Amino acid sequence: MAISSLHATTSLHSPCTTNTSFRQNQVIFFTTRSNRRGSTRQGGARTFQVSCSVDKPVVIGLAADSGCGKSTFMRRLTSVFGGAAEPPKGGNPDSNTLISDTTTVICLDDYHSLDRTGRKEKGVTALDPRANDFDLMYEQVKAIKEGKAIEKPIYNHVTGLLDPPELIQPPKIFVIEGLHPMFDERVRDLLDFSIYLDISDEVKFAWKIQRDMAERGHSLESIKASIEARKPDFDAFIDPQKQYADAVIEVLPTQLIPDDNEGKVLRVKLIMKEGVKYFNPVYLFDEGSSITWVPCGRKLTCSYPGIKFAYSPDTYFGHEVSVLEMDGQFDRLDELIYVESHLSNLSTKFYGEVTQQMLKHSDFPGSNNGTGLFQTIIGLKIRDLYEQIVAERAGAPTEAAKV
Amino acid sequence: MASTLTNVGLSTPAAASLARPQRVTGAGRVVFPFRRSGFAAVVVRASGPSTPPDISEKMSESIDKAKEACAEDKASGECAAAWDEVEELSAAASHARDKLKENSDPLENYCKDNPETDECRTYDN
Repeated sequence: MAISSLHATTSLHSPCTTNTSFRQNQVIFFTTRSNRRGSTRQGGARTFQVSCSVDKPVVIGLAADSGCGKSTFMRRLTSVFGGAAEPPKGGNPDSNTLISDTTTVICLDDYHSLDRTGRKEKGVTALDPRANDFDLMYEQVKAIKEGKAIEKPIYNHVTGLLDPPELIQPPKIFVIEGLHPMFDERVRDLLDFSIYLDISDEVKFAWKIQRDMAERGHSLESIKASIEARKPDFDAFIDPQKQYADAVIEVLPTQLIPDDNEGKVLRVKLIMKEGVKYFNPVYLFDEGSSITWVPCGRKLTCSYPGIKFAYSPDTYFGHEVSVLEMDGQFDRLDELIYVESHLSNLSTKFYGEVTQQMLKHSDFPGSNNGTGLFQTIIGLKIRDLYEQIVAERAGAPTEAAKV
Repeated sequence: MASTLTNVGLSTPAAASLARPQRVTGAGRVVFPFRRSGFAAVVVRASGPSTPPDISEKMSESIDKAKEACAEDKASGECAAAWDEVEELSAAASHARDKLKENSDPLENYCKDNPETDECRTYDN
């Protein structure tokens, strides 16, 4: 397991020109900022932008409930793509957007049609489709996918109000994260890849206790009441989206400790849809077989409660899937490297890249268990998907121009 | 920050950094039994920056209001909307704390914008 030569960082490579070739070039027209709700506005001041990316962004959807690790996932994802993601410079300090060299992540809460007061008056939660403007969401995601800039509203999570919109330029990779990326069929059809974070009730409860218990006014009762009150809408509008996801990360309590009463050790499943273009599921030892693997033994010493992997083909909402499961947690670096060396189809650029990414963010939640491992793997898979799409477009320019 | 593994020996103390630091102290430990499944959680009161007072205040107000809104009918839309507001503010509070934590190191902040200066250089070997 020598790891003598690992490269520092990688970033996405794509054709990058400043000439005025037909394909690479984007001309974007936009006007002064206005509060009018609408998608792309044309006319007015002309901005000429030579894009250093492919002409059409690749669009990724990430769905999960509030407090279920979307932000951590996004930080891992943008890190795999290279470069740190930051809020837009000089914009609204309460903007929910993150921008890096390659990637722009927007939060779908920005498409709330009802602000906090409006929801309260009507007695609907943010999970309810009636509180969200799917027409605008569709129009704007479509515009971005066509390479056009948008004036996207900003939902302010502190004040609960809709702030004046911000200008979003089409990036190489456009991620929409939030409660409803796969709810509306029109939006769903625009996604090149979609992910659902499925957190079991037990784990959700444990995570929210960790997040909220120190807050003034919160108690176990209030945390429980909040989860319970939101659950009917969650079950009706959020949970069903997982059937459309290309990858689902399911987070469950461990089975390694009988009657585990700590909630610290997790069993995490990565459910990967088969037959998705540009996406080849990760596998363990033998593609398509069913395997249970306990890496801890003579070659690798693990501490209690150990690590257990499983891999098998399965069906998920009628789709063929491959499921990779990890129960337990990494306590030492060599455990992670050992595991990485036994997984295939990881889409890494060099040996040890998964381990490197996990180490780089060892302060993020989940860096020692399956949540961090699978989020990192999905990040690598999306990078791979992006590069395949770019390569295909470069190889077939006339076709790419039509998309 | 140096991100290669080349300077991380497998048996050096650096390897231990993979495991998240455990902040379990006697005082911060609360064990809560889950009613439904018998599952329980260890609560670790995280040290670090506290929530900005304006968000904190809003949140604790929203909790009181949610309790009030649910007093009559737990299944009402008003009750769900009120607790949803609590969730939204709790998430906002958590993000605000993360932001404070991120911005708490002045050198890190300086180096974000000035990575080429002497004090910000990192060397792999």
